[in-house]
Amino acid sequence: MSYQVTSAILGLFLASTILWLIRRDYLHSRHALWWFLVALIVMLLGIFPTIIDKLALQMGVNYPPTLLFILGMGMILVKVISIDLHQSSQEKKLRRLAQRLAILEGEHFEQD
Amino acid sequence: MNLPNDYEPIVILIPAKNEVNTVAQVVSTIKAHVAAKVVVIDDASTDKTASVARAAGAIVLPLPFSLGAWGAIQTGLRYAFKHGFNIAITMDADGQHEAESISTLLAPYVKGQCDVVVGAYPQRGSFLRRTAWSFFRKLSGIVLSDLTSGLRAYNRTAIKLLASPAATLLDYQDMGVLILLHKAGLRVIEKPILMYPRINGHSRIFSSWWAVVRYMFYTGILCIARFQHAKSKPKAEAFESQG
Repeated sequence: MSYQVTSAILGLFLASTILWLIRRDYLHSRHALWWFLVALIVMLLGIFPTIIDKLALQMGVNYPPTLLFILGMGMILVKVISIDLHQSSQEKKLRRLAQRLAILEGEHFEQD
Repeated sequence: MNLPNDYEPIVILIPAKNEVNTVAQVVSTIKAHVAAKVVVIDDASTDKTASVARAAGAIVLPLPFSLGAWGAIQTGLRYAFKHGFNIAITMDADGQHEAESISTLLAPYVKGQCDVVVGAYPQRGSFLRRTAWSFFRKLSGIVLSDLTSGLRAYNRTAIKLLASPAATLLDYQDMGVLILLHKAGLRVIEKPILMYPRINGHSRIFSSWWAVVRYMFYTGILCIARFQHAKSKPKAEAFESQG
Protein backbone atom coordinates (compact mmCIF):
# COMPACT_ATOMS: atom_id res chain seq x y z
CA MET A 1 0.00 0.00 0.00
CA SER A 2 1.43 3.33 -1.01
CA TYR A 3 1.55 6.34 1.31
CA GLN A 4 -1.02 8.03 -0.92
CA VAL A 5 -3.70 5.53 0.08
CA THR A 6 -2.90 6.07 3.78
CA SER A 7 -3.04 9.84 3.49
CA ALA A 8 -6.22 9.67 1.39
CA ILE A 9 -7.91 7.47 4.02
CA LEU A 10 -6.85 9.77 6.87
CA GLY A 11 -7.91 12.89 4.96
CA LEU A 12 -11.30 11.48 3.99
CA PHE A 13 -11.92 10.21 7.53
CA LEU A 14 -11.12 13.61 9.09
CA ALA A 15 -13.15 15.49 6.48
CA SER A 16 -16.20 13.24 6.84
CA THR A 17 -16.05 13.54 10.65
CA ILE A 18 -16.08 17.34 10.39
CA LEU A 19 -18.87 17.33 7.82
CA TRP A 20 -20.88 14.95 10.00
CA LEU A 21 -20.45 17.28 13.00
CA ILE A 22 -21.60 20.26 10.95
CA ARG A 23 -24.59 18.35 9.59
CA ARG A 24 -25.69 17.21 13.03
CA ASP A 25 -25.53 20.84 14.28
CA TYR A 26 -22.89 20.01 16.88
CA LEU A 27 -20.90 22.95 15.51
CA HIS A 28 -22.42 26.39 15.62
CA SER A 29 -22.86 27.77 12.10
CA ARG A 30 -20.39 30.54 13.01
CA HIS A 31 -17.64 27.89 13.10
CA ALA A 32 -19.00 25.71 10.33
CA LEU A 33 -17.44 27.69 7.48
CA TRP A 34 -13.94 27.45 8.98
CA TRP A 35 -14.23 23.75 9.60
CA PHE A 36 -15.75 23.14 6.19
CA LEU A 37 -12.64 24.75 4.64
CA VAL A 38 -10.39 22.66 6.88
CA ALA A 39 -12.23 19.51 5.79
CA LEU A 40 -11.79 20.50 2.15
CA ILE A 41 -8.05 21.15 2.52
CA VAL A 42 -7.45 17.95 4.50
CA MET A 43 -9.31 15.94 1.88
CA LEU A 44 -7.45 17.56 -1.01
CA LEU A 45 -4.01 17.13 0.60
CA GLY A 46 -4.87 13.57 1.61
CA ILE A 47 -5.78 12.51 -1.91
CA PHE A 48 -3.11 14.60 -3.66
CA PRO A 49 -0.20 14.86 -1.21
CA THR A 50 2.09 16.05 -3.99
CA ILE A 51 0.31 19.42 -3.98
CA ILE A 52 2.45 20.46 -1.03
CA ASP A 53 5.66 19.49 -2.87
CA LYS A 54 4.70 21.57 -5.91
CA LEU A 55 3.67 24.50 -3.73
CA ALA A 56 6.96 24.31 -1.79
CA LEU A 57 8.92 24.29 -5.01
CA GLN A 58 7.03 27.38 -6.22
CA MET A 59 7.71 29.20 -2.94
CA GLY A 60 11.37 28.25 -2.83
CA VAL A 61 11.03 26.02 0.24
CA ASN A 62 13.72 23.32 0.18
CA TYR A 63 12.00 20.82 2.45
CA PRO A 64 8.26 20.63 1.60
CA PRO A 65 7.01 19.23 4.96
CA THR A 66 8.25 22.46 6.61
CA LEU A 67 5.75 24.39 4.53
CA LEU A 68 2.98 22.03 5.61
CA PHE A 69 3.84 22.46 9.28
CA ILE A 70 4.16 26.23 9.06
CA LEU A 71 0.84 26.61 7.24
CA GLY A 72 -0.81 24.20 9.66
CA MET A 73 0.53 25.92 12.75
CA GLY A 74 -0.38 29.31 11.33
CA MET A 75 -3.97 28.20 10.88
CA ILE A 76 -4.06 26.78 14.40
CA LEU A 77 -2.69 30.06 15.79
CA VAL A 78 -5.33 32.11 13.96
CA LYS A 79 -8.04 29.79 15.24
CA VAL A 80 -6.82 29.91 18.86
CA ILE A 81 -6.62 33.71 18.85
CA SER A 82 -10.12 33.94 17.42
CA ILE A 83 -11.34 31.62 20.19
CA ASP A 84 -9.79 33.89 22.85
CA LEU A 85 -11.31 36.97 21.23
CA HIS A 86 -14.68 35.32 21.14
CA GLN A 87 -14.28 34.12 24.71
CA SER A 88 -13.43 37.65 25.91
CA SER A 89 -16.55 39.06 24.34
CA GLN A 90 -18.61 36.25 25.89
CA GLU A 91 -17.04 37.04 29.27
CA LYS A 92 -18.04 40.68 28.89
CA LYS A 93 -21.62 39.76 28.04
CA LEU A 94 -21.79 37.28 30.90
CA ARG A 95 -20.53 39.84 33.42
CA ARG A 96 -22.99 42.47 32.28
CA LEU A 97 -25.82 39.97 32.40
CA ALA A 98 -24.89 38.99 35.96
CA GLN A 99 -24.74 42.66 36.95
CA ARG A 100 -28.13 43.37 35.44
CA LEU A 101 -29.60 40.38 37.24
CA ALA A 102 -28.17 41.62 40.55
CA ILE A 103 -29.60 45.11 39.95
CA LEU A 104 -33.05 43.73 39.09
CA GLU A 105 -33.05 41.50 42.15
CA GLY A 106 -32.02 44.43 44.34
CA GLU A 107 -34.82 46.58 42.93
CA HIS A 108 -37.30 43.79 43.45
CA PHE A 109 -36.48 43.60 47.16
CA GLU A 110 -36.56 47.39 47.41
CA GLN A 111 -40.20 47.47 46.27
CA ASP A 112 -41.36 44.85 48.77
CA MET B 1 -23.56 67.17 57.42
CA ASN B 2 -24.57 70.01 55.12
CA LEU B 3 -24.07 69.71 51.41
CA PRO B 4 -25.33 71.79 48.51
CA ASN B 5 -28.33 70.11 46.99
CA ASP B 6 -27.09 69.95 43.42
CA TYR B 7 -24.76 67.12 44.36
CA GLU B 8 -27.45 64.96 45.79
CA PRO B 9 -28.66 62.29 45.56
CA ILE B 10 -25.59 60.47 46.79
CA VAL B 11 -25.18 56.71 46.86
CA ILE B 12 -22.61 54.77 48.88
CA LEU B 13 -21.47 51.55 47.16
CA ILE B 14 -19.98 48.76 49.24
CA PRO B 15 -18.74 45.63 47.47
CA ALA B 16 -18.76 42.75 49.93
CA LYS B 17 -17.66 39.15 49.75
CA ASN B 18 -17.99 37.07 52.90
CA GLU B 19 -17.91 40.12 55.19
CA VAL B 20 -20.67 39.01 57.56
CA ASN B 21 -18.74 40.17 60.64
CA THR B 22 -18.22 43.75 59.55
CA VAL B 23 -20.79 44.70 56.92
CA ALA B 24 -23.64 45.54 59.33
CA GLN B 25 -21.45 47.85 61.39
CA VAL B 26 -20.09 49.53 58.26
CA VAL B 27 -23.60 50.11 56.89
CA SER B 28 -25.07 51.47 60.12
CA THR B 29 -22.08 53.77 60.75
CA ILE B 30 -22.48 55.28 57.29
CA LYS B 31 -26.23 55.67 57.73
CA ALA B 32 -25.60 57.50 61.01
CA HIS B 33 -23.21 59.94 59.32
CA VAL B 34 -24.63 60.66 55.87
CA ALA B 35 -28.07 61.09 54.41
CA ALA B 36 -27.37 58.80 51.48
CA LYS B 37 -28.63 55.55 50.03
CA VAL B 38 -26.36 52.67 50.99
CA VAL B 39 -26.00 49.86 48.45
CA VAL B 40 -24.14 46.66 49.27
CA ILE B 41 -23.12 44.57 46.27
CA ASP B 42 -22.91 40.99 47.43
CA ASP B 43 -20.19 39.34 45.34
CA ALA B 44 -21.66 35.84 45.65
CA SER B 45 -20.87 35.46 49.36
CA THR B 46 -21.22 32.03 50.88
CA ASP B 47 -22.15 33.43 54.29
CA LYS B 48 -25.05 35.64 55.40
CA THR B 49 -23.52 38.91 54.16
CA ALA B 50 -26.56 39.74 52.01
CA SER B 51 -29.23 39.26 54.67
CA VAL B 52 -27.18 40.96 57.38
CA ALA B 53 -26.60 43.98 55.14
CA ARG B 54 -30.30 44.12 54.24
CA ALA B 55 -31.23 43.98 57.92
CA ALA B 56 -28.85 46.87 58.56
CA GLY B 57 -30.82 48.98 56.10
CA ALA B 58 -28.80 48.67 52.92
CA ILE B 59 -30.11 47.86 49.47
CA VAL B 60 -28.44 44.60 48.46
CA LEU B 61 -27.56 43.73 44.87
CA PRO B 62 -26.83 39.98 44.95
CA LEU B 63 -24.54 38.80 42.14
CA PRO B 64 -25.32 35.27 40.95
CA PHE B 65 -21.61 34.42 40.84
CA SER B 66 -18.45 36.22 41.89
CA LEU B 67 -17.25 38.96 39.54
CA GLY B 68 -14.39 40.16 41.69
CA ALA B 69 -13.98 43.52 43.38
CA TRP B 70 -14.33 45.67 40.28
CA GLY B 71 -17.21 43.64 38.79
CA ALA B 72 -19.11 44.23 42.02
CA ILE B 73 -18.33 47.95 42.08
CA GLN B 74 -19.40 48.31 38.46
CA THR B 75 -22.70 46.66 39.34
CA GLY B 76 -23.17 49.43 41.88
CA LEU B 77 -22.16 52.10 39.39
CA ARG B 78 -24.68 50.78 36.87
CA TYR B 79 -27.32 50.92 39.60
CA ALA B 80 -26.23 54.49 40.42
CA PHE B 81 -26.41 55.49 36.75
CA LYS B 82 -29.81 53.86 36.23
CA HIS B 83 -31.30 55.54 39.30
CA GLY B 84 -29.98 59.00 38.54
CA PHE B 85 -27.48 59.43 41.36
CA ASN B 86 -25.10 62.37 40.95
CA ILE B 87 -22.35 61.08 43.20
CA ALA B 88 -21.31 57.51 43.94
CA ILE B 89 -18.87 56.80 46.73
CA THR B 90 -17.20 53.39 46.94
CA MET B 91 -16.07 52.01 50.29
CA ASP B 92 -14.70 48.70 51.50
CA ALA B 93 -16.89 46.43 53.61
CA ASP B 94 -14.07 45.40 55.91
CA GLY B 95 -14.15 48.50 58.10
CA GLN B 96 -10.96 50.00 56.64
CA HIS B 97 -12.58 53.30 55.76
CA GLU B 98 -14.04 55.82 58.15
CA ALA B 99 -17.52 57.14 57.48
CA GLU B 100 -16.13 60.55 58.48
CA SER B 101 -13.96 60.50 55.33
CA ILE B 102 -17.06 60.88 53.15
CA SER B 103 -17.31 64.61 53.82
CA THR B 104 -13.61 64.98 52.92
CA LEU B 105 -14.31 63.30 49.59
CA LEU B 106 -17.31 65.49 48.87
CA ALA B 107 -15.63 68.81 49.63
CA PRO B 108 -13.90 69.21 46.22
CA TYR B 109 -17.25 68.75 44.41
CA VAL B 110 -18.67 71.76 46.20
CA LYS B 111 -16.13 73.92 44.43
CA GLY B 112 -16.56 71.98 41.17
CA GLN B 113 -12.87 71.12 41.07
CA CYS B 114 -13.00 67.60 39.74
CA ASP B 115 -14.84 64.53 38.48
CA VAL B 116 -13.27 61.90 40.72
CA VAL B 117 -11.89 62.13 44.25
CA VAL B 118 -9.66 59.37 45.59
CA GLY B 119 -9.28 59.00 49.33
CA ALA B 120 -5.55 58.50 49.68
CA TYR B 121 -3.58 56.97 52.50
CA PRO B 122 -0.22 56.33 50.84
CA GLN B 123 1.52 55.70 54.17
CA ARG B 124 -0.16 52.31 54.34
CA GLY B 125 1.18 49.24 52.68
CA SER B 126 4.42 47.37 52.80
CA PHE B 127 7.68 48.32 51.12
CA LEU B 128 6.74 45.89 48.33
CA ARG B 129 3.42 47.56 47.70
CA ARG B 130 4.93 51.03 47.60
CA THR B 131 7.60 49.82 45.17
CA ALA B 132 4.88 48.37 42.93
CA TRP B 133 3.00 51.66 43.01
CA SER B 134 5.98 53.79 42.03
CA PHE B 135 6.68 51.33 39.20
CA PHE B 136 3.12 51.65 37.86
CA ARG B 137 3.19 55.43 38.27
CA LYS B 138 6.22 55.61 36.00
CA LEU B 139 4.72 53.15 33.54
CA SER B 140 1.35 54.86 33.22
CA GLY B 141 2.22 58.50 33.81
CA ILE B 142 -0.53 58.82 36.41
CA VAL B 143 0.62 60.99 39.28
CA LEU B 144 -1.59 59.86 42.16
CA SER B 145 0.07 58.66 45.34
CA ASP B 146 -2.42 55.93 46.34
CA LEU B 147 -3.29 53.83 43.30
CA THR B 148 -5.34 51.06 44.87
CA SER B 149 -7.49 52.99 47.33
CA GLY B 150 -11.01 51.60 47.43
CA LEU B 151 -12.39 54.84 48.86
CA ARG B 152 -13.40 56.96 45.90
CA ALA B 153 -16.09 59.39 44.85
CA TYR B 154 -17.33 59.56 41.27
CA ASN B 155 -19.57 62.21 39.74
CA ARG B 156 -22.24 61.57 37.10
CA THR B 157 -19.79 61.84 34.17
CA ALA B 158 -17.42 59.34 35.75
CA ILE B 159 -20.28 57.02 36.74
CA LYS B 160 -21.49 56.99 33.13
CA LEU B 161 -18.03 56.19 31.78
CA LEU B 162 -17.30 53.45 34.31
CA ALA B 163 -20.73 51.84 34.02
CA SER B 164 -20.16 51.37 30.28
CA PRO B 165 -19.12 48.06 28.66
CA ALA B 166 -15.67 49.57 28.00
CA ALA B 167 -14.89 49.13 31.70
CA THR B 168 -16.45 45.69 32.13
CA LEU B 169 -13.38 43.56 31.48
CA LEU B 170 -11.30 45.30 34.14
CA ASP B 171 -10.58 43.26 37.26
CA TYR B 172 -9.59 45.76 39.94
CA GLN B 173 -10.64 49.27 40.89
CA ASP B 174 -7.16 50.70 40.42
CA MET B 175 -4.84 51.34 37.48
CA GLY B 176 -7.23 50.19 34.76
CA VAL B 177 -9.97 52.47 36.05
CA LEU B 178 -7.58 55.40 36.52
CA ILE B 179 -6.20 55.00 33.00
CA LEU B 180 -9.74 54.91 31.60
CA LEU B 181 -10.63 58.11 33.46
CA HIS B 182 -7.40 59.74 32.36
CA LYS B 183 -8.02 58.82 28.72
CA ALA B 184 -11.49 60.35 28.85
CA GLY B 185 -9.98 63.58 30.16
CA LEU B 186 -11.72 63.47 33.54
CA ARG B 187 -10.11 65.29 36.43
CA VAL B 188 -9.01 63.01 39.24
CA ILE B 189 -7.73 64.45 42.50
CA GLU B 190 -6.63 62.96 45.79
CA LYS B 191 -7.61 63.87 49.31
CA PRO B 192 -5.66 62.54 52.27
CA ILE B 193 -7.76 60.45 54.62
CA LEU B 194 -7.22 58.10 57.52
CA MET B 195 -7.61 54.37 57.15
CA TYR B 196 -8.07 51.81 59.86
CA PRO B 197 -6.34 48.49 59.77
CA ARG B 198 -8.78 45.91 58.47
CA ILE B 199 -11.02 44.54 61.22
CA ASN B 200 -10.70 41.10 59.72
CA GLY B 201 -9.81 39.65 56.37
CA HIS B 202 -7.06 40.71 54.06
CA SER B 203 -6.33 42.58 50.85
CA ARG B 204 -8.00 41.01 47.86
CA ILE B 205 -5.16 42.08 45.60
CA PHE B 206 -2.22 41.23 47.86
CA SER B 207 -3.57 37.97 49.25
CA SER B 208 -0.78 35.61 48.26
CA TRP B 209 2.49 35.64 46.41
CA TRP B 210 0.93 34.09 43.36
CA ALA B 211 -1.84 36.71 43.43
CA VAL B 212 0.77 39.47 43.62
CA VAL B 213 2.67 38.11 40.61
CA ARG B 214 -0.55 37.81 38.63
CA TYR B 215 -1.62 41.29 39.64
CA MET B 216 1.73 42.87 38.73
CA PHE B 217 1.70 41.16 35.35
CA TYR B 218 -1.91 42.04 34.59
CA THR B 219 -1.52 45.68 35.59
CA GLY B 220 1.80 46.01 33.79
CA ILE B 221 0.21 44.78 30.56
CA LEU B 222 -2.71 47.14 31.09
CA CYS B 223 -0.39 50.15 31.52
CA ILE B 224 1.64 49.32 28.42
CA ALA B 225 -1.40 48.50 26.30
CA ARG B 226 -3.13 51.78 27.12
CA PHE B 227 0.00 53.91 27.09
CA GLN B 228 -0.23 55.00 23.46
CA HIS B 229 -3.95 55.58 23.62
CA ALA B 230 -3.57 57.95 26.53
CA LYS B 231 -1.96 60.57 24.31
CA SER B 232 -4.64 60.67 21.65
CA LYS B 233 -7.95 62.38 22.28
CA PRO B 234 -10.68 59.94 23.30
CA LYS B 235 -13.82 59.59 21.26
CA ALA B 236 -16.83 60.71 23.23
CA GLU B 237 -19.13 58.14 21.67
CA ALA B 238 -16.87 55.30 22.76
CA PHE B 239 -18.68 55.17 26.08
CA GLU B 240 -22.05 56.52 25.04
CA SER B 241 -23.77 53.16 24.69
CA GLN B 242 -25.02 51.43 27.79
CA GLY B 243 -25.29 47.68 27.33
